[in-house]
Amino acid sequence: MSLTDPFTACILLLVTLAVLGLPVAYSMILASILYLLMAGLDMGTAAEQLLNSMYTSYTMLAVPLFILAAELMNSGSMTTRLTNFANALVGRFRGGLAQVNVLQSLLFAGMSGSALADAGGMGKMMMRMMTQDGKYTPSFAAALSAVTAVVAPILPPSIPMVIYALVSNASIGYLFLGGILPGLLISASQMLIVWWSARRNNFPTEEPVPVRELPRITLRALPALMLPVVLIVGLRGGVMTPTEAAAVAAAYALFVSVVIYRDVGLREFYTSLLNAARTTTSIGMLIAAALVFNYIVTIENIPNAIRSLLLSYDLTPLTFLLLVNVLLLLIGAVLEGSTIILIIVPVLIPTAAALGIDPIHFGVVVVFNVMIGLVTPPYGLLLFVVKRVSGASMGAILRDTVPFLLGLLVALMLITLIPDIVLFVPRLFGYSG
Amino acid sequence: QSNVPLRFSAVFSQQDIRAEMMERFAAALGDGFDFQGFYGATLFRQGTELVALQRSNLEMGNIAPQDISEQLPEWSVLTSAYLFRDADHLVAFFQSDAGEEMKKMAEDRLGIRVLGPTYFGVRHVGLRNQRDINTPADMAGLRLRMPGGDSWQFLGQALGANPTPVAYAEVYTALQTGAIDGQDNPMPNVQNMKFYEVMSQIVKTSHLVGFDVLTISKSTWDKLTPEQQAQVQAAADEAIAWSNAQHLQNEADLIAFFEEQGLTITEPDLAAFRTYAQQLYQSSGAAARWPDGIVERINGL
Amino acid sequence: MLAVMFFAFIIQVVSRYFFNMPTGWTSELTVIMWLWLVLWGAAFVVREDEEIRFDLLYGSVRKGVQRVMVICTALVLIALFLISLPASWDYVTFMKIQSSAYLKIRFDWLFSIYIIFAVAVVCRYIWILARALGARWPGKKPHQTGPQA
Ligand code: NA
Ligand code: NA
Repeated sequence: MSLTDPFTACILLLVTLAVLGLPVAYSMILASILYLLMAGLDMGTAAEQLLNSMYTSYTMLAVPLFILAAELMNSGSMTTRLTNFANALVGRFRGGLAQVNVLQSLLFAGMSGSALADAGGMGKMMMRMMTQDGKYTPSFAAALSAVTAVVAPILPPSIPMVIYALVSNASIGYLFLGGILPGLLISASQMLIVWWSARRNNFPTEEPVPVRELPRITLRALPALMLPVVLIVGLRGGVMTPTEAAAVAAAYALFVSVVIYRDVGLREFYTSLLNAARTTTSIGMLIAAALVFNYIVTIENIPNAIRSLLLSYDLTPLTFLLLVNVLLLLIGAVLEGSTIILIIVPVLIPTAAALGIDPIHFGVVVVFNVMIGLVTPPYGLLLFVVKRVSGASMGAILRDTVPFLLGLLVALMLITLIPDIVLFVPRLFGYSG
Repeated sequence: QSNVPLRFSAVFSQQDIRAEMMERFAAALGDGFDFQGFYGATLFRQGTELVALQRSNLEMGNIAPQDISEQLPEWSVLTSAYLFRDADHLVAFFQSDAGEEMKKMAEDRLGIRVLGPTYFGVRHVGLRNQRDINTPADMAGLRLRMPGGDSWQFLGQALGANPTPVAYAEVYTALQTGAIDGQDNPMPNVQNMKFYEVMSQIVKTSHLVGFDVLTISKSTWDKLTPEQQAQVQAAADEAIAWSNAQHLQNEADLIAFFEEQGLTITEPDLAAFRTYAQQLYQSSGAAARWPDGIVERINGL
Repeated sequence: MLAVMFFAFIIQVVSRYFFNMPTGWTSELTVIMWLWLVLWGAAFVVREDEEIRFDLLYGSVRKGVQRVMVICTALVLIALFLISLPASWDYVTFMKIQSSAYLKIRFDWLFSIYIIFAVAVVCRYIWILARALGARWPGKKPHQTGPQA
C-alpha cells in the first residue's frame, strides 16, 4: 500500500474529492480515470463502462418513470386527496402522518422492486405532505422516507432478488415468498419506532375528522388509491413486466389527473416532465459513476481477496452469517447494491453452501444487508436521494436516521438468527429446504 | 521473462460448467501465463467483449456468434435455425475447411482468433400452458420471448411464433404472470433461471444449437511463440471437449428432472419446422451475405 | 426525452398486450433516451445546488476555505477529464463499426453524448474555477433551503 499504488491513490482521490464537496458522481469518475492512468490502462474504458452499463441497464428504467408518476401526482390534486384520506384515517393519532409514510412504502413495495424509485418518487410526495405547514422537520421527513423505502425490494417483486437468483441458482419464486415476513417485520418495527418517537418528541396530531365525512373523503381519493390495485392486477394478470409497471403508473397518474380530477393541463404536464428529468439526471449520474467504479473494483480482484480472507477462518454457519452481515454492511457503505450482489456475493455463496446454509435464507439476508447499505453513510444512495429531494442537510438527516437504522439492524439480527422467519412462507408453498 | 497476462471475460456465472472449463484451461496452460477470469459479465457487459478484445482491453473472451455477425455479416449464417444438428456436428464444422475459412475471416477482418466453439445446449421452446404443437402453424399467435435484436427476433418468426423481446432477468416473472406464453432457451438455462417452475411443457424444437466461441485477440496471439500458441490451442481443445461432454450429460439428466417436476415433454414434427425455417431464411435479406454454398457444405458434414 | 421514454413504454405494453405485436424498437428507444437524458441533463440542465454531494465539511467552514476547496476540486476535474478526453474520443469513434439492434443507429453517434458531456463539464468547471479565483466570489449556500417545487 503506497501512494504509487493505483488502487490506493484511486480510493484516496475519491474520498478527498467527495469530502471537499465535489459532486459524488464526478468524484467516482475522476478516481476511476486516475486509476486507469496510473495502471497504464486504456482511459477510454471509463467512457466505455459508463456508456455500455447505462445502455444495458434495462431494469433501471423503472426509476425515472416512477419518479415521473410521483411528479404527476404532485402536480395535480392526487397528493392532497391522499393526504386528506390518510389524515381522516390515522391523523388523530400522534405522529399519524409519519405512520402513513410507513404504510405508503409497504403498499408501494408490493408493486415495485426498487427502493430508489420509492424514495425518489413516492418519498418526495410524502416529504411534501409531512413538511407543509411545518408539521415535521424536513430532515425527519427525509430520514423516514429513506428508511421506509428499504422495504421495496424485500417484498416481492424485487430487482435485487432477481439478481441474487441469477448468481446463486436459488428459486426466484421462493425467494420472493421468503421476503414477505421480513418485509412486514421491517414495516412493523418502523411503526413502533415512529410511535415511540412520536410520544417522545410530541409529534403533531391532526384535527380529528368526523366519521360521517369518511365516505366522501374516501370517494374523492379513490382513483388515487386505486393505483396500487391497477398495478398489482396488471402485474399478476401478465399485462406488463415490473419495469413497464413504472410507465403504467405514470400513465395512470396522468389519466386520473387530466380526465377525472381535471387539474393537470399541458403546462403542468410539461413542468412535471422537467422536474422528473432533473431528479432523474442527478440519480442517474450517481448510478452511472458507480458502474464505472465497479470496473476498478473488479479488475483489482477485490472479491478474490475477500474469498481467501474467509477461507482462512474456521467458521460455524452462525459466525459466518454474522461475519457476512458485518462485511456487507461495511461494503454497503461504499458500494452500490446490485454491484455487491453481482461481484461480492458470488464469492460468499460457495462457503455458505458448504456450511449448509439455506440458499433462500442466505439470499434474503444478503438482500436485506444490501438494502441497509442504502441508508448507511458515506455511500447511502437512498440518503442522497432524499437529501436531494428534501433539501435538508446531510448531518440532520443522519441524526434522524439513527433510531431507524438501529431498528433495521435488530430486524436483520432476528432474520439472521431465526431462519424460520424467512422460510415459513416458502414452506407453506411447498419449499423443501 | 514475465508471464503473458490473459484477462478473460464472460457472461456466464462463476457456478457455470463453463467457468470450470476455464479453470481447467488455465491449469493446463501451466507456467508462463497469468490467467484471470471474470464471470457474470462483471468486467465487460454482455455484447461488449468483442470491442474490448479489439481495443486490447481484454485478451480473451467467450463471444456470441451473434455479436461477431454484427461486424461480420457472413457469420450470421452460423446463427440461423436448423443449421447444426447437434454438438458433434458443431465441433466437426469448426474443424473442417469451411470452419477454417470462417475463422480466418474473423482473424483477418476483426482481429480475433477463434480457439473453438463452447457448446451450451440445444434451444427448445418452453410453454407456460400446455398446447398441442406439431408444426410451425401450431405456433401461430404464440407470444414467444426471444432475446433482443433482429437476428433473434427473426429466429422467433422462423418458428412460426410471435416473437417479443423481454429482458432475461424478467422472463421468470413474465412467464409467471402470462405477459408471455413461452420462451426459448437451452435446458441448463431453464434450470438455472428456474423457468421450469412457471412452465408446464417443453416442446423439443431443437431449433438452434447454442454455442459461443472461445476467442483470443489477434494481437495477443501474434505475440506468443509457436510453442505457446500450440500450448494455448491444446489447452482450449481439451477444456472445450470436457465442457461439451458435461453439457450433453447435463441435458440428458435434465429431461428426467423436468419430467419429475411435472412438465410434459413433447416432440414436434422436426422436418416441418426445418423446412419452414430454412425457406424463411433463404428468402430473407440475411442469406444474401452468407458465403456461397456454405449451408450445403455444413449439411454435408 | 423523458416524454419519449414514457410514450415508448406505453406503446410497448399496449402493442404487446392488445395487438400481440413485437416491439423491440421501443425498449431500444427508451434505453437510448435514458442514456442521453442523464448525460445531457448532467451537462446542461442540472444546477450546482441540485448535485448530489457531501456538504458536511463544506457547509461548516469559512468562505475563504470554501474557495480553496472549490479551486482544488475544479483543477483536478479539469485536468483528469482533459487527460482522458483523447482516449474517450478514440473509444467513441471506434464504435462506428457497430449499430444498434433495431433502429440501426451507429454507436459512435449514440455514444457521442459522452464527449459532449465531458466537454461541457470541463467548460462548466473552468467557469467555476474562474469565478472562485475572481474578486467577486459569492460563496455558495451550504445546502438548498427547502424542497424543490
Ligand atoms: Na417489492
Ligand atoms: Na415512505
